[in-house]
Amino acid sequence: MKQLNFFKHNKSFYSVIFLTLAIFMVSCKKDSDKKDPGNIEIEFDNIAVVNGIERQLTLVSPGSTDYGYTNGMSQTFNINLLRYYITNIKLEGPNGEVFTDHVHVSSSGTEGIYLVDEAQPSSGSVILDNVPAGEYNKITFTVGVEENGVTEGAAGGNLDPATCKMFWNWNSGYIALKFEGQSNVSAGGTTGTETLEGVTKGIAYHIGGWKTIDGTAFVYNNKTMSFTFDTKAKVEKGLQPAVHMVFDVIKLFSSKNLIDFTGNNNVHKPVDGKPAAENIPGAFAFDHIHQ
Amino acid sequence: MSLLFFIDMKRKIALLIGATFIIFSCGKDDVVTKTSPYSLIRPDYFPEITYPLENNPITKEGFELGKKLFNDPRLSLDNSVACSNCHVKGVAFTDPQHNPSVGIFNQIGTRNAPMIANMAFQSEFLWDGGVSHLDFVPVFAIENQKEMGEELHHVVYKLNKIPEYAPLFKAAFPGIDTITSPYMLRAISQYMLLLVSDKSKYDRVQKGEDVFSASELTGKAVFDQKCAACHSGALFTNYEYMNNGLDLVFMDVGRELISALASDLGKFKVPSLRNIMLTAPYMHDGRFKTLDEVLEHYRSGVKLSSTLATNLSNSGQLGIPLTDEEIEAIKIYLKTLTDYEFISNPIF
Repeated sequence: MKQLNFFKHNKSFYSVIFLTLAIFMVSCKKDSDKKDPGNIEIEFDNIAVVNGIERQLTLVSPGSTDYGYTNGMSQTFNINLLRYYITNIKLEGPNGEVFTDHVHVSSSGTEGIYLVDEAQPSSGSVILDNVPAGEYNKITFTVGVEENGVTEGAAGGNLDPATCKMFWNWNSGYIALKFEGQSNVSAGGTTGTETLEGVTKGIAYHIGGWKTIDGTAFVYNNKTMSFTFDTKAKVEKGLQPAVHMVFDVIKLFSSKNLIDFTGNNNVHKPVDGKPAAENIPGAFAFDHIHQ
Repeated sequence: MSLLFFIDMKRKIALLIGATFIIFSCGKDDVVTKTSPYSLIRPDYFPEITYPLENNPITKEGFELGKKLFNDPRLSLDNSVACSNCHVKGVAFTDPQHNPSVGIFNQIGTRNAPMIANMAFQSEFLWDGGVSHLDFVPVFAIENQKEMGEELHHVVYKLNKIPEYAPLFKAAFPGIDTITSPYMLRAISQYMLLLVSDKSKYDRVQKGEDVFSASELTGKAVFDQKCAACHSGALFTNYEYMNNGLDLVFMDVGRELISALASDLGKFKVPSLRNIMLTAPYMHDGRFKTLDEVLEHYRSGVKLSSTLATNLSNSGQLGIPLTDEEIEAIKIYLKTLTDYEFISNPIF
């Protein structure tokens, strides 16, 4: 009885001890379970699916009449260059794991803004570090550079307007995706931004447009998309899983809207790039994971 | 009592002296900041500063590097055209001689070189507002085939080859190894940001340091009634894009190029009227050589098209009804916008 009384009177005392123990135990549990963050690689692989077979792209010189690919309208074409920005990468897992890649723009460089260039194979590999340990089965990213790429002022790194070759000076902002090549059906005399002697079959799709201003018809062509993996990528210190994403250039011209290379084939402003921009989410796909 | 009072007085005097000293020293600091020619001061009747200064703090070294770049023709393809060729200080950084301006290989441009003044308070640049950040304005001129015709990466390459630039860039942006475009552009921005025109007679009146004459007041009354709907506020622009009835067929689509909106066909940014007496020729294509021609256009030359500014057709007739006397009065008032200190400032 005395003991009980003591217990009663010291209820709060016991509560404190109990809580402290509980906290201690929980934190111990957490400590023993918690793994250090690790890296994850996201690989963007540009391909063309031809007759159901994934093929690596072959770039040709401007003016080439060697047409290796066929669009959704049975028009043949080739590729001089393919470049696009990947930004705002976010990873999520089934147990609440979330990793949001830090995006920072400054004159000395950029973080979280990746420029994938088919001419530089290593540019397709994006290594994210300090990713919290856990399992991830979903990725979200944006193709294109959002408003902060312009409003933060002249930037370095992947946004350096002198070196990125993705900057529109007349309508200041960054091209989200740039494709240039030739098609046998094109009457265009130019390729890309240059008029080349003897190049008569040029096609150019400079897809961009980041402004959204009320009361105007500014065309916003950046695209944000999510993909769920059929397996999970396990991240912790010492592991570096690689998530392979593919970008099918054939689908850039057919996934939603059929792009006809006979007209509107020299795209250099947002409104003209809208149909192809709408194809971008359908051109990307999750492929596989190397754990 | 009297002793206490005395002590109290002494304390009060001591406090007063102390306080005066604090106020004085605060004031002194303030004065030092305000008189430094390398800091951006917004007159309280100006619009807010739109430029993100925290990303590019203005320094003497940065400003002077920007000024040197602004005046360096090596920023153009054939090393013949500097920014200052078409933005001449003596006429408020516009182009007095050419109509429109002349670029590399003596090519004639398509648009009239706009005034560079009060850039810190604007959010969209060029006649069509296509550039949304001051840092990127020079890229347009450098890469425009008819202006400076150069590629930005090649300008950067050239700057890295010119020995005198390396120490200037290092002084302006400590810690950088090589010259890259963002530093070049930010230096030019620092220069342009300080080009604030706020010392005209109009400004002195705003600051209570001067008064308008009777004829200036007459002009102001006409202006406020007939012009200020668009040329409003301390910078004499509403920052909107308007078709002011110059044409029926538009050789230059103007704002429509940027907004992709058919209703923006033939619209151009309402220009600031500051220093208007110095900035001939007028209009986006420099078609009018004198202010008389401009005012005559508004009185009798306005052409009706689908995108014409409603202010130019809502009086039941096209244009703005103006008598000869009113035109003269407006001109007298506009003369108060000429800022002689601005165009003769030795640090610019």
